[in-house]
Amino acid sequence: MGTMGLALPWEARISSAPRERGTRVEPFQHFSGGTSPAAGDATDEDATLAAACQSGDLRAYERLYVLHGARMKNVARNLLGSPMDAEDAVQDTFLKIQRGVASFRGQSSFVTWTYRILINTCYDARRSRLRKKEIANDDSGETPRPELRAPGAHPSLRMALERALAALTRHQRDVFLLYEVEGFRHAEIAGMLEITETASKNTLFQAKKNLRQMLEPPRSSGAEAR
Amino acid sequence: MNVTCNDRDRIFEDGTPEEWAALEAHASGCPACAEELRAWRTLSVAAQELRDYSESPALWARIERALVEESPAKPQPVNRRRWFFFLPSIPLGWQTAVAGAFVLVLTLSAGWIYLHRPIRNVDTDKSLLKSGALRDVETAETAYVQAIDKLAAEAKPELENSSTPLLANYHEKLLVLDSAIADLREQAGMNPSNAQLRYQLLAMYREKQHTLEEVLEAKQQ
Repeated sequence: MGTMGLALPWEARISSAPRERGTRVEPFQHFSGGTSPAAGDATDEDATLAAACQSGDLRAYERLYVLHGARMKNVARNLLGSPMDAEDAVQDTFLKIQRGVASFRGQSSFVTWTYRILINTCYDARRSRLRKKEIANDDSGETPRPELRAPGAHPSLRMALERALAALTRHQRDVFLLYEVEGFRHAEIAGMLEITETASKNTLFQAKKNLRQMLEPPRSSGAEAR
Repeated sequence: MNVTCNDRDRIFEDGTPEEWAALEAHASGCPACAEELRAWRTLSVAAQELRDYSESPALWARIERALVEESPAKPQPVNRRRWFFFLPSIPLGWQTAVAGAFVLVLTLSAGWIYLHRPIRNVDTDKSLLKSGALRDVETAETAYVQAIDKLAAEAKPELENSSTPLLANYHEKLLVLDSAIADLREQAGMNPSNAQLRYQLLAMYREKQHTLEEVLEAKQQ
């Protein structure tokens, strides 16, 4: 599937600044309707940014990086697991934006389009990395098994969550990361992943259910201990 | 609004703010729902651990470089043209006058530089040896003279006897050459940097060398 120049059936816009830590705890915070003045500014900025990038203005790309670079790198790092790979993915994303910005018609938010390219770039990188690993494993004859349950020896929350996320399906992982970590709305996630908003909500629910099962202590061993 | 334990998953998936509020009220009296609600929220809090917006100072520079390298249409050299951007606003007559004045100044400057260029006498320069070169010449000359003296010492017995008219001629020629060499050396001593004198002296030495070689060859025959 092509990555760029695709029309989206929605008009949601993404605010440029990532949410502050801790603001995404209550899901109902995102159900506010209507268009606020800030949202209007974001829309204007988005359109201006898109137009400037289309004109080849490097400062527009720099502005895009200033507004979203850190968030993009975090998304990429969580999808790829390595800060170095994440930086490469962000760089590739900017190059793909430059190559494809002429075909951007504004049916979606420019920033949503940007993140969609980023996510596809991350999955391209993952595929390429897996292919390399497969070749290496063919040579060694070993197949590493993903660890589904977090180890019980007091692992850090972050490591446990990362391991549990690795065991989710691709869509569940993407939606969880974009919603819970990055603070995007379901409408925005739907645009990035080319799914419906309802599918995004359902996928998040399934992802959290699975994560909960994986992260809770094993009940059987607890019972045996008692 | 009344919710039950059965509504919990539906609210987790797509509940309205009112439904969430009702679920919280229900959870205050239902330990199972309270535990589920706590676990659900813990996941959201834990997710914040995966947020790292630390700066990558070199990343933008890297991206910018890549963008410039891959830029489909290189940006116009705006800065290079900026200095004469004011020209279109000046009338054509003034532009011509300024251009003419510029050409005139350029011509006068070139003429002045041509007329006042430092005139160097190439021949004089060539005929004079610099101190370093002179030292080299004198060293080589001394070695050459010593070698010729050795040759003369070998030929000396034959020349003094002059048993044949040919040897007598050689002897006479060598006396003339020695006289000329002494004369030139005296002149070179007064003017050591004169390359012309040095060349003449060298020619004399060569001639003396060839004459001595011929004497020695005649002796062998």
